[in-house]
Amino acid sequence: MNKAMLMLAATAVLWGGMAQADMVADQLDRYYAEGGKVFSAAAGEAMWTREFPDPDGGPARSCSTCHTTDLKQSGTHARTGKTIEPMAPSVNPERLTDAKKIEKWFLRNCKWTLGRECTPQEKGDFLVYIKLR
Amino acid sequence: MNTTATRGRVGRVRVWDLPLRLFHWLFAAAFATAWLTRDDRLLHVHVFAGYLLAGLVLFRLVWGLVGSRHSRFRDFACGPRAALGYLRNLLAGDAPRMLGHNPAGSWAIFGLLALGFGLGLSGLLTLGGEEGHGPLAGWIGFAAGERAYQVHEFLAWTMLALVAVHLIGVAVESLLHRENLAAAMLHGRKRRQGDAADVAVLRPVALAIAMAVAGGAWASFGGYLTATPEQPYLPFAGPVLPDDPAWREECGGCHLAYHPSLLPARSWERLLAGQESHFGEDLMLESEAVEALLGFLTANGAETLPTEAAWKILRSVPVGEAPLRISATPYWKAKHGGIDAAVFERAPVNSPANCGACHKDADAGTFEDAAMGIPEPAGGSTD
Repeated sequence: MNKAMLMLAATAVLWGGMAQADMVADQLDRYYAEGGKVFSAAAGEAMWTREFPDPDGGPARSCSTCHTTDLKQSGTHARTGKTIEPMAPSVNPERLTDAKKIEKWFLRNCKWTLGRECTPQEKGDFLVYIKLR
Repeated sequence: MNTTATRGRVGRVRVWDLPLRLFHWLFAAAFATAWLTRDDRLLHVHVFAGYLLAGLVLFRLVWGLVGSRHSRFRDFACGPRAALGYLRNLLAGDAPRMLGHNPAGSWAIFGLLALGFGLGLSGLLTLGGEEGHGPLAGWIGFAAGERAYQVHEFLAWTMLALVAVHLIGVAVESLLHRENLAAAMLHGRKRRQGDAADVAVLRPVALAIAMAVAGGAWASFGGYLTATPEQPYLPFAGPVLPDDPAWREECGGCHLAYHPSLLPARSWERLLAGQESHFGEDLMLESEAVEALLGFLTANGAETLPTEAAWKILRSVPVGEAPLRISATPYWKAKHGGIDAAVFERAPVNSPANCGACHKDADAGTFEDAAMGIPEPAGGSTD
């Protein structure tokens, strides 16, 4: 009885760790299918700090404006001042575990920051960049 | 000859026992403290001072019956004619000197005690009705609590006036009879008159009073000793408000999840009806999600009146309006108008939308008094 529970627990832990990797892999597969090519963390990082103009004439903004350039640190929402938990999965294990959440925030944040939706290539680059932090 | 019974200076006699003197100065301190802590942020200090004042009144009523000679009411209580007569003589510069309280002073004393009692009672009613705290919480509603507050304010000003009269009276008496009455109330002794004997010091009772006050202070403020930034000490813990995980998740992603009780239901309806332009963003919520959120928000809007904040915000919003911003409501503006605009522009506040920077219970949605403070300016930028 005990041995079975131990096996079950070990499997669950490993599965959880793999689940994140699996989930990201699934997302990347989707982006491939939607037209992405080779995904690169370096491209993701470069895009992360690229500034885009504010259509209302305010200060330009980039992903790092709110999330900072160090993904292991907490960020601050540029408008509301709210603390944003670190993006790096190494520090915040909840990151990159929910596909719906990833898509939701890509949609909202790319629209607000870039002024348009991110392309599958850009999303893939971002995912690989964040995953490695 | 009573040399053994007379300690201290020759020619002086102890008139006021220690409990009475302690009572007097604690009463003065409590009243002064209450006056100086009318700000919302200091409500816990104000309430402590109020409990102290009321407790002291109760003590004095008992002490007036069982205290030493000049502490007892029968030593100085008198009718209005005696008081007015004494006052006339005083103004003519011809009042007789007395060891204990004089007839005019006696009336001031009873007046101050009565007002202190009235303030304590109206204070408790305000605390219960307006704030929802204290022993009378739940007895009366917000509107009645506000009435009690108006009575409380009136009594406070009246007592302040009587305190002024008392101070003037003490000064005039001191000059007329060439003695320092305030000092006498400190060390208890006055110039001997007749064959009066010392009253007892009665230290144990004074010690009991001091310990009771210390105990009360510990109960009120001891929480600060174990507080941490994550678990701050909230002198007034508000009610547990309705919560919803989907609401926390969706509405708490970019900003504080503003509790629905902070705006009327019609505001939430209007907000979600315009979700494609939510302060410059398209929320793109699916219709089931919107329905679920709307259900929670409208069921728990300000109309449910769970807190003082809900009641006052709702009352300040004209019936035909559905503001989308809490900070656009007249009540919010009135409460925050006195704060320098720079506070809202710099870190760590950064925005009027960032309630949690100053309000320690913003997450809970209760916004209690004595649970807020403007933080120190933080250095550095956000990236």
